Amino acid sequence: MSLEGRGYTGKILYIDLTTEKIKTESLDKKVAYLLLGGKGLGIWLLYKLSRPRENPLSPNIPLIFATGPLTGTSAPTSSKICVVTKSPATGTVLDSYCGGFFASELKYSGYDCLVITGRAERPSIIVIDNGEVDIRTAERLWGLTTVKVEEEIRKSLGENFKTMVIGPAGERLSPIAGIFSNLRSAGRGGAGAVMGSKKLKAIAVRGKEPVLVYDERKFTKMAWIAHRTLRMSEMTARSMPAYGTANILSVVNESGALPTRNFKSGRFEKAEEISGKSFREKLWIRSYSCSLNCPIACSKIAIINEGKFKGTMVDGPDYETIFSFGSNCGISDKNAISYANYICDMYGIDTISTGGIIAFVMELYEKGLIKSQDLDGIKATWGNVEALIRLVEKIAKGEGVGKFLQLGVKRISEKYPDSTKYAMQVKGLEVPGYEPRAAQGMGLCYAVSERGACHLRAYTAGGELLGHLGGIDPSSHNRLKVLYAIDRQDEKAVVDSSVLCFFTLFGLTLKEIYQMIVPCTGFNYENEMELKILGERVITLARLFNVREGFGKKDDKLPERFLKEPLPEGPLKGQTVHLDQMLSEYYSARGWDEEGIPTKEKLKQLKLMEIL
Amino acid sequence: MRRKDVRLNSILNLNDGKCVILAVDHGFIFGPIKGLENVESTLKRALKGRLDAVMVSPGQAKRLSHIFGKRGAPALIVRGDWSNAFRDKTYALPVRKVQEVLIAHPKDLIHLGATGAVVYFFTGYGDENEQDQHYKRIKWFIENCEKVGLPCQVCVIPVGERVTGANFVDLLELGVRMAVEAGADILEVPYTQDITTFKRIVSAAKGVPVLCAGGPKATRLRDSLEIVVELLEAGASGVVFGRQVFQSDDPSSFLNMLYALVHEGKSVDEVIGILGRPSRLKVLPEKCIGCRLCEIICSLSHGNSFSPYKSRLRVEETQGMLKKFKPVVCTLCGSCVEACPTGALKLNPELGYLQLNEEECTGCKKCVEACPIKVLKFDEEAGIPLICDGCSGNPQCVKWCPVEAIVMEVR
Repeated sequence: MSLEGRGYTGKILYIDLTTEKIKTESLDKKVAYLLLGGKGLGIWLLYKLSRPRENPLSPNIPLIFATGPLTGTSAPTSSKICVVTKSPATGTVLDSYCGGFFASELKYSGYDCLVITGRAERPSIIVIDNGEVDIRTAERLWGLTTVKVEEEIRKSLGENFKTMVIGPAGERLSPIAGIFSNLRSAGRGGAGAVMGSKKLKAIAVRGKEPVLVYDERKFTKMAWIAHRTLRMSEMTARSMPAYGTANILSVVNESGALPTRNFKSGRFEKAEEISGKSFREKLWIRSYSCSLNCPIACSKIAIINEGKFKGTMVDGPDYETIFSFGSNCGISDKNAISYANYICDMYGIDTISTGGIIAFVMELYEKGLIKSQDLDGIKATWGNVEALIRLVEKIAKGEGVGKFLQLGVKRISEKYPDSTKYAMQVKGLEVPGYEPRAAQGMGLCYAVSERGACHLRAYTAGGELLGHLGGIDPSSHNRLKVLYAIDRQDEKAVVDSSVLCFFTLFGLTLKEIYQMIVPCTGFNYENEMELKILGERVITLARLFNVREGFGKKDDKLPERFLKEPLPEGPLKGQTVHLDQMLSEYYSARGWDEEGIPTKEKLKQLKLMEIL
Repeated sequence: MRRKDVRLNSILNLNDGKCVILAVDHGFIFGPIKGLENVESTLKRALKGRLDAVMVSPGQAKRLSHIFGKRGAPALIVRGDWSNAFRDKTYALPVRKVQEVLIAHPKDLIHLGATGAVVYFFTGYGDENEQDQHYKRIKWFIENCEKVGLPCQVCVIPVGERVTGANFVDLLELGVRMAVEAGADILEVPYTQDITTFKRIVSAAKGVPVLCAGGPKATRLRDSLEIVVELLEAGASGVVFGRQVFQSDDPSSFLNMLYALVHEGKSVDEVIGILGRPSRLKVLPEKCIGCRLCEIICSLSHGNSFSPYKSRLRVEETQGMLKKFKPVVCTLCGSCVEACPTGALKLNPELGYLQLNEEECTGCKKCVEACPIKVLKFDEEAGIPLICDGCSGNPQCVKWCPVEAIVMEVR
């Protein structure tokens, strides 16, 4: 059985920037069958290629760009690139996803996956032109913003090259730096710093090779059903095209789950001013698809049309950015939120972490732990728009106090020992936009997420806050809730390995994805449950990597605020997160031991031993 | 003939056992949604079309008895329960726990002039006790319908804490069978999105007629009609459509289309009407979201692989930063036909699309040079130009474009 013609090209491209050695190896069939691609494949490669406890910024750590069998086909949202490496922010495995058209182009170049190791002597760019690889020096590009560098590359190489780039923040190894493509980003966890550590400014790719699937007729039928289902689902056909991901903001606020002022509360009194509806009325001028074949078009283009930042064009802001610079900093100024987003995009940093850092600084300032003289004279009061913009600029440019702040909430809190209980981070990654005291499942999701606090790993908020498929009680923390979270986590791992966009799950179920995967790959998965097990395998593999790096139960924790401070407002006023109970249920349901380490039997049952 | 059978026969068409039901009971559960601000006027408009029955809440059955009491009025199906299950994120607080209560005794529904009754049956409760209690209520209701001779329609839907993406069809199949065992006379279920799985549902019903619910309004008419054809093929006995009908521009003609599909076995093309005349592609650039699915589908339908490089149209970014896009398609200007020295390129005499006789083509590329908008490319491997042949009258780019930015226009 060859993988070629089954949604795969069957080839992995290895580039070592130190030796400039380039080699191609075939993708192992068993690995493809057991892990599909994307997240599964990327983590497997990371596990195999990296030595334990290596510094994430060491040349030996691979930076992996993985596609999946559905990449470049007619499946909806089929050009999300999965970036896998070791996170400089957390030291855990890092998988992050980015829209744009890089993934499909990489596949049309003849590669399923690109693995970069080593460190170039001088700033470099990798150019892959229809399979031919060239490493070129790029001193001219070093220092440019993300948009500028992409523009320069298109100018010199040609319009149809697709790129992944870093901004100045990645160059100076900021642990909150992302990798950007066409205004989209693999934002979280610091993949941009890993790329910067390799002295790699950009990758440009263009390809003419066709992608073939196993049973083209059947696949086309199933892709049609998937597209039609997305066109007929309320969330993906109406809400998200109109209001972007911020369509949920008002409801999340009503539920008391909209993080406000560094998670002190779950209700923001000015939520309506920063809702999707309000952004649509005032700022957004257009919706577009960030990725190939995306019918959802949740991406928005905003133009700031008044005030200091007038004329600035921004991609976004999305829900997470709005929460992070908005409610979480006590800010309701849409222009400021959009401008903060713009600076982050230009310099190439993650908006969630940046907002998290600023909210934390604002609380330190409120409590008198940090003074304006420590902040280059900035008075970091809640809701202070000027402070927000100045801090974002400093963090983005790594200037003044920004040099320290860019290290993230965890490292900042180490300097102020009393502050750890409201240092809103898990494993070193800043907490995203759902208050777990108002949605217990999200607490579990943050604690067990392999890359630190991430909302997309087991999105229980869909049921807990949005009423998806009949909803689930947000305050429950029993076995049922844990199983619900596990379902979401496995499902997401399948989407991430396929690779599709998470938002397809607002219309599709695992069934529609299964129905595409089978005619695409020709793999004889018996039913959708078998794919769910594949998801479990991927999650367990990620866990194995983290365990090897020394992570375990001691790290699956939440900031003390979530565990001890009762939620002050909202329908679930008075709640704290019951993490311990959920965690032990989680380990047992996963077949991991009490310390959160996957048991031998589980590994055998999941056939992981066969590929490790 | 028993009273119940008489009533059942006025819901399901006597000749073919099928039916088209218009549901307007949404206000009960969703509030005054679009199209149902005024149920009476909506109904009056819709009833100009053909249908078999209307589904309402007890309150509307009472209020609008003057409509349903008329000779020749459609059969009346009245809801006997209420639930919060569909309250979604458009509400201040979406549903967090599925609740269902009976709100009318079947005897009362008879007094309201009901031809049939309808209740929900949910499979997916997190708590087994709640699932038991719910089943017991449904069973009680069906039994009492039987006693008064009222056919009972059971609307089976997997909602609740146990529902996952992987078990949806299994839970639906289970629920359908449980409803049949409880004595349901008609079943109503959501569409499973494909024929194969829907056949499983019909088969689990063991001969009890299965109707399919329409769900939220589709953004495209063709999508909602297409699923009707599919579910009929899978063995369904008809449809229960609400929002699809009363939120459409013309509810009565939409009902007529449904009726023609369900009772007359017509195809989607027959009810919508196809052009069948010389036509060409027309681009509406302001609608384009830049997803490039047209390029992907074009390459697939002219080969057997995904290779946008060989696509016969292209999406241009007119203003990169602003994400403005414009699909560039063949306009059938005829320059290439004129430039072709061998006559290999021709326009189809009937429908007017481009045709290439590969045997007569010498690969001289004159056509490529002649194309004023550079949409005609040359395939170096095959040695022939990549022409837009309008997919012989059924352009796939038009069919797949999610936002209808490429459409057909009569020449």
